[in-house]
Amino acid sequence: MIKAKWWIYQIGIPLVLLYAFPWFFNNAHTIHVAQTFLITYIVIVGLNLLVGLSNQLSLGHVGFYAIGAYASAILTMKVGLNFFASILISALIAAVFGAIVALLSLRAKGPYLAMVTIAFGELVSIIANRWVDVTGGPAGIKTSVPSLFGFELGPIQYMWFIGLLAIIFTAGATNIFRGRFGRTFTAFGNSEVASEVLGINVRKWKILAFSVSAFLAGVGGGLFAFQNQFISSTTFELNLSIMFLIAVIIGGSGTKIGPIIGTVVIIGLPQFLHNFVDYHLMIFGGILLIALILLPDGIVGALTKLSFFKKFSSKKVNTELGILHDDREATIDLPDGISGKLLELQNISMHFGGLKAIDDVEIEVLGGTVHGIIGPNGSGKSTTVNVLSGVYMPSGGNLLWKGKNITKYAPHGIAQEGITRTFQNLQLFEDMSVLQNVMVGFHRHFKTGFLKNLLYLGQVSNEERYYAQKAYDLLRIVGLEERAYEKASDLPYGEQRLVEIARGLALKPDLLILDEPAAGASPKEIEKIMDVIQRLKNAGLSIILVEHHMDIVMNICDYITVLDFGKKICEGTPETIQNDPRVIEAYLGGEEVNQLVAGTKFVG
Amino acid sequence: MELTDILKALINGLVYGSVYAIIAQGYYITFITTKTLNFGQGDFVMLGSLIGLSTFITITATGGSVWIAFIASLLLVIVILGICGWGLEQVAIRPLKSWHSIGWILSTVAVSMIVRNVAMLIWGRDVLMAPSPFGRAILDLGIMKIRYHDIFVLVSAVVIMLLLYVFLKKSLFGKALEAVAFNRDAASLMGINPRLMASIAFIIAGILAGVGGVLVGPMVHPGAFIGLFLGLKAFAVAIIGGIENPRGIFIGGLLLGVLENLFTLYSTSMKEAAAFFLILVILAVLPQGLFGKRVKEKF
Repeated sequence: MIKAKWWIYQIGIPLVLLYAFPWFFNNAHTIHVAQTFLITYIVIVGLNLLVGLSNQLSLGHVGFYAIGAYASAILTMKVGLNFFASILISALIAAVFGAIVALLSLRAKGPYLAMVTIAFGELVSIIANRWVDVTGGPAGIKTSVPSLFGFELGPIQYMWFIGLLAIIFTAGATNIFRGRFGRTFTAFGNSEVASEVLGINVRKWKILAFSVSAFLAGVGGGLFAFQNQFISSTTFELNLSIMFLIAVIIGGSGTKIGPIIGTVVIIGLPQFLHNFVDYHLMIFGGILLIALILLPDGIVGALTKLSFFKKFSSKKVNTELGILHDDREATIDLPDGISGKLLELQNISMHFGGLKAIDDVEIEVLGGTVHGIIGPNGSGKSTTVNVLSGVYMPSGGNLLWKGKNITKYAPHGIAQEGITRTFQNLQLFEDMSVLQNVMVGFHRHFKTGFLKNLLYLGQVSNEERYYAQKAYDLLRIVGLEERAYEKASDLPYGEQRLVEIARGLALKPDLLILDEPAAGASPKEIEKIMDVIQRLKNAGLSIILVEHHMDIVMNICDYITVLDFGKKICEGTPETIQNDPRVIEAYLGGEEVNQLVAGTKFVG
Repeated sequence: MELTDILKALINGLVYGSVYAIIAQGYYITFITTKTLNFGQGDFVMLGSLIGLSTFITITATGGSVWIAFIASLLLVIVILGICGWGLEQVAIRPLKSWHSIGWILSTVAVSMIVRNVAMLIWGRDVLMAPSPFGRAILDLGIMKIRYHDIFVLVSAVVIMLLLYVFLKKSLFGKALEAVAFNRDAASLMGINPRLMASIAFIIAGILAGVGGVLVGPMVHPGAFIGLFLGLKAFAVAIIGGIENPRGIFIGGLLLGVLENLFTLYSTSMKEAAAFFLILVILAVLPQGLFGKRVKEKF
């Protein structure tokens, strides 16, 4: 049923429109514009995956476009390959460069990332301009008339050909959007650290996002090379990268139909403005500025905010996944409990410059217990959690997990081992629904690969449905099933904390680290959170609980470690801790403080 | 002679680099206060050089002295570009609802398109000749010759840097700017108006671009379309130096200028390519630039 609808909207109607186009607009100019539109559209689809989903920035897409164009020109003219084969090979070359740019920019953020991509684009356009022997420079080089199986493609046939590719790539992109790949792209675009602790290797995924995006830009460039049977380096300039980006943003970044609208704007507008060529830039700039101010989410983004569309879209999600709500109690799916030593911190230290945030700390966490870590502000609790989850690499000491040394593991590696965490400063994937947030947590359990997702085989939709149901069950456990389709960032603070817990549970962890799960929550919400933790404890989950609220810690924890100024000052059962004078001193101040308060002693 | 060529390239590089550095200081000021910058800064530089050029020619043509003409054009450029900077903040930065970086990148690009179009309508599409107040006078050092204008640019750049430094470190305004940079909310609780500071930052950035334009005018052939190239260079300089470190930016500017001109000795055609290649290498190794602070994120 859904399948049939998909075929009609995604393939059937576009094919009919494409085929019929020349009957309505049969003049050379219009066909040429249509070709340009379709070529640009393919590039924009790719850029939208990168910018819209994974929140990366590329001001260098012209580089991939140029690589696609020149490589396919050279492969046809000098090597003698068929034009289509050379376009595919060139697109793969562009994808490799995409991976290189991703590697170069892995750690760069904001303006630095912008600079990396600009520098790449400029480098390519300078080479295109100056390496005249190969590229022809500004004077350009000739390419051949595209031909398939011995038939030369005329302008109309070539437009059909490009259109066919555009339809295929759009279908692929839509499949990517709705499956786990799109979700993972969006996840690390929203919060890299949260993605990492859920087992997503962000580095690998960024490279994938850049490569896919560069591949499509390369296809666009290749198609462009045969459009006029001529290319010149004057096409490939920074301005074109900016135009591509404008199309993504004006259309509505991260939306499915945004690229169509965006491409219509950047290709169509100059057509209408060609009588005002002297004012072209001004009009374009003005429209862009107004669009950015009035429609920050682009044209499509603004339309979906209208209540009519909103109702339509939320209903669709609900039915598509076919989630069941029956009356049986949802059960927590946990790995088999382990008794004995689960995690050992051996002489762990973390120094920032001269500051010893934690210093020579030893903690042993036993399987099946709730281990509390408490201490006053600045005692090193958060640093400990960051070290445990791999977010920080400790300056010294060892981290043993079931006897295995995991000190040097990246956060996603630690997550793969079965340790995950929540965040004191919430790190939800804000662009996603509550249900999708939890589904990201299942990352390490998903099996289907990129190609299967591209085709959205039955296997993929089965997997999606299976984990959607599981995610929903987890939401029932934390009592948020009614919020499943709401945007995660719209929930109240305390419920957002519960979403993080559910998301962590989705990993099916052996150890869950809760970093101040009750901070900022209302008393009623705290009660709910406590209840959830208690139930998890009863189910046999091992938990490290970092918390300020003493009642929670004392009620739930089996064993407690107390930190002060980065050092472990004592540990034991709640009863021992409550009566330990060192703990009381750390929290309330010792005799000296009492004297200072009473005014019997003075500082200095 | 090999050695004089190198020396010449060195001095040329310092001169160009110091201009890039001045323009790039504008990026620094707005970035620390608002986390945004003007991607069309280069077009403001272009506007500065063209307004300066027209004023200079008009006054000298009516018989005014060269220095009066220069000072008048400098003052006019400071006023107009200051207003432009203020206007940019009003139309392209303040009204933006999303704080994602693509928003302000494109909105400032949009303004730069408009600026470029206006300049094209006024000054045409071709490049012009901009006279220096020193004319074509040359200082002959025996082993090499230097234009007086180049010396003037280098000295001015150092003076502007010092003025800026004093302004930022010693004046109340400067301290307020830095307070906003350090912690916007806390600064606002202390009675500092972050919005006013944002306006001031963009006014200063505009002025720096304008002054840079007046200085660079006689060195390049100004025209409506030179903005992109200058802005890109200045942006590269800011990134190499570390956008939150004004001294790093100055050093980065001189470095890029010198290296670029040394590359020219080797091969003119690949000079630009080498610069961008260098940027890629630097950022791959030091993602915060050469002198940027490495901040450990807290979770």
